[in-house]
Amino acid sequence: MIEKIINGIHGVRNYGVISICILFACFIGTVIWAFTRKKHYLTRMSALPLNDGSKSGDLTDNHRP
Amino acid sequence: MNTNVETFKYDNRIVRAFAIATIVWGVVGMAVGLLAAVQLFLPEANLNLQFITFGRIRPLHTNAVIFAFVGNGMFTGIYYSLQRLCKARMFSDFLSWFNFWGWQLIIVSAALTLPLGFTTSKEYAELEWPIDIAITVVWVAFAVNLFGTIVKRREQHMYVAIWFYIATVVTIAVLHIVNSMEMPWSGLKSYSMYAGVQDALVQWWYGHNAVAFFLTTPYLGLMYYFLPKAANRPVFSYRLSVIHFWALIFLYIWAGPHHLLYTALPDWAQSLGMLFSLMLIAPSWGGTLNGLLTLRGAWDKVRQDPMLKFMVAAVTAYGMATLEGPALSIKSVNSLSHYTDWTVAHAHTGALGWNGFLTFSMLYWLFPVLYRTKLWSVKLANYHFWISLLGVIFYVIPIYIAGVTEGLMWKQFTKDGFLQYPNFLETIVQVVPMFRLRAIGGTLYILGVLLMVYNLYRTAKSGKFEPDTVAQAAPRANHAAVAGKTTFHRLLEGKPLFFTVLAVVAILIGGIVEVIPMYLIKENVPTIASVKPYTPLEVMGRDIYIREGCLGCHSQMIRPFRSETERYGEYSKAGEFVYDHPFLWGSERKGPDLAREGGRYPDAWHFNHMDDPRSTSPGSIMPRYSWLLTQPLDTNSLPARLKALRKVGVPYPAGYENGPAQKDLVAQATRVVQNLKQGAVTAESDREIIALIAYLQRLGTDIKPAPAAAAAPSSFE
Repeated sequence: MIEKIINGIHGVRNYGVISICILFACFIGTVIWAFTRKKHYLTRMSALPLNDGSKSGDLTDNHRP
Repeated sequence: MNTNVETFKYDNRIVRAFAIATIVWGVVGMAVGLLAAVQLFLPEANLNLQFITFGRIRPLHTNAVIFAFVGNGMFTGIYYSLQRLCKARMFSDFLSWFNFWGWQLIIVSAALTLPLGFTTSKEYAELEWPIDIAITVVWVAFAVNLFGTIVKRREQHMYVAIWFYIATVVTIAVLHIVNSMEMPWSGLKSYSMYAGVQDALVQWWYGHNAVAFFLTTPYLGLMYYFLPKAANRPVFSYRLSVIHFWALIFLYIWAGPHHLLYTALPDWAQSLGMLFSLMLIAPSWGGTLNGLLTLRGAWDKVRQDPMLKFMVAAVTAYGMATLEGPALSIKSVNSLSHYTDWTVAHAHTGALGWNGFLTFSMLYWLFPVLYRTKLWSVKLANYHFWISLLGVIFYVIPIYIAGVTEGLMWKQFTKDGFLQYPNFLETIVQVVPMFRLRAIGGTLYILGVLLMVYNLYRTAKSGKFEPDTVAQAAPRANHAAVAGKTTFHRLLEGKPLFFTVLAVVAILIGGIVEVIPMYLIKENVPTIASVKPYTPLEVMGRDIYIREGCLGCHSQMIRPFRSETERYGEYSKAGEFVYDHPFLWGSERKGPDLAREGGRYPDAWHFNHMDDPRSTSPGSIMPRYSWLLTQPLDTNSLPARLKALRKVGVPYPAGYENGPAQKDLVAQATRVVQNLKQGAVTAESDREIIALIAYLQRLGTDIKPAPAAAAAPSSFE
């Protein structure tokens, strides 16, 4: 019964189709965006957690034997 | 290049405070979970105290581990990493501590109100309206602090972990506010603004995305920060992390309908939820592989380093849970798994493996750093890892077996076409040994955590806490001045507001498909003529049902399968729930579905069953509810309850609560007492049990002829 009610909302079935198209466009956009980044930017960003600017350092190895 | 280097300090005090809170609430939340698990094979473990009975402590456990343990863990990691990724102290120390104490106060409120029975009954959103307001205020303080820090950052770019934090902040705010719309009728109680199907849609839109944006996205941010730290090497692919982020937040918000498969939700919405859930495998596994491949060339360290062990196990659990989740969203799989313990096993693969292990990994890394020392015992941390891993295995495997067994037994027919196991109890008794094994797994997991507590305590004692870490960085240059032009990328990273708007748009596009039916449905659901509002006594009984957390074990939603209609009766219709504020469909069956319970047994059977379930159902694992037989019914609050229900749309006539309602209540209670007398039970009419029996006898009778026992004409009909 409820199916008929919601399906009766004008054009409701199009929501899904439109949304999948938007998703696909966004995904393609993201992939293009990611693959047009310059290498030096990607290298710097991927190592960002390793440089926190602290003077004393992180003691990264202090949980190892 | 800017040579004007600035010196500043990172705030470690707030990180330590959240870390300690994570540990304390973790132990409490897991211990409560163990107590609940034990009650599933030993109901007497509630010591006949209503405050620690399964129905009340199950939400306490889920809230404690989600919002207290993982919530504090999330804040620990964000407050540590955000400062360092932004190369700036938090925007406001006051807001940091407001966030901390506000959050702890909310947790304490939850720990007090849930055992006392103050619950909305909506899963992972059980906290009542004053606490909901407090959550909103504290969350806004956190958001201001987060965005303030991002705005004043010295680092040019926003690392992907910060993107995950932003998505978390904005999405949780949207979900919490929409799902918490409720009408108070007392200082600590309210009714949901939404009813029935609409309430279910809102709740599971929230429920699924609470998992996505509270348990997943912030922890992915932490993974992208702490995994490179632990491995001491950069993220495997920053490109992949960016695609992971956008694909994940876009897809996740759509997947909510997979919690409502084969319910009254329209088929196209169910299929869309299933489709997007399946697509979620791609970004989830992209993230998993990105995490594991970050360890390329460092796998030798995993052998020695407990932090890396926990991290690898956490990322692997994430991969397993995000493969299993989409599998469970396939309608045919879901028809077997839904309402069974399979879902519980799935949830715990994520909770114990992904959230738990990642938190432990972070804590083992943080404590030595904060206390400028070495971890007190690497050996003990390794013991923790193996004991807890064994705990996870002992937990999930028996529960997977239990879940599949339940699903198969519920659906099994004889060759003559009758249910093989018509008595629901048979199917539960069959899996009780699995519940025992699960409790052993939980015990092992907690033992491991206790080893960690001791290890971290000794670590703290052996070092000296560094309240502030001095750091240096150049101030952030003006992007446009540096580049000479503004690209989309610079706009994205340079303007947190622009980024946030994009993230909100991404989550709302998916949400709209669910949100639109959710808002239009109320006006469009025609009421079934025979479905009437609950009588005053039934309203009181329903509120007791909610208070005791009965929906933790009993669903009220019969799916359109022959195996269900044979067992329970006619499948559930959307129009039956139009006066249900909140909906009580439930998500698990440790006991039978109650949607058509009305008239199934005499009133006296219910009385005896609530007093001692094993007297009517030998072998039952249901706890005794003997306090309902003696506690007086709070009829003084009836007018407030009915007024609030009228405000949310239940058509009680004006003034009905002032007199006529009380008369109806007394008349119906008297009839119940007379019925009980026929069953050789003597009871007073003003006890809670009377109201609960009235409610149970009403269930499902609107669309089937009611026996005389349940019929209760009211003056408003």
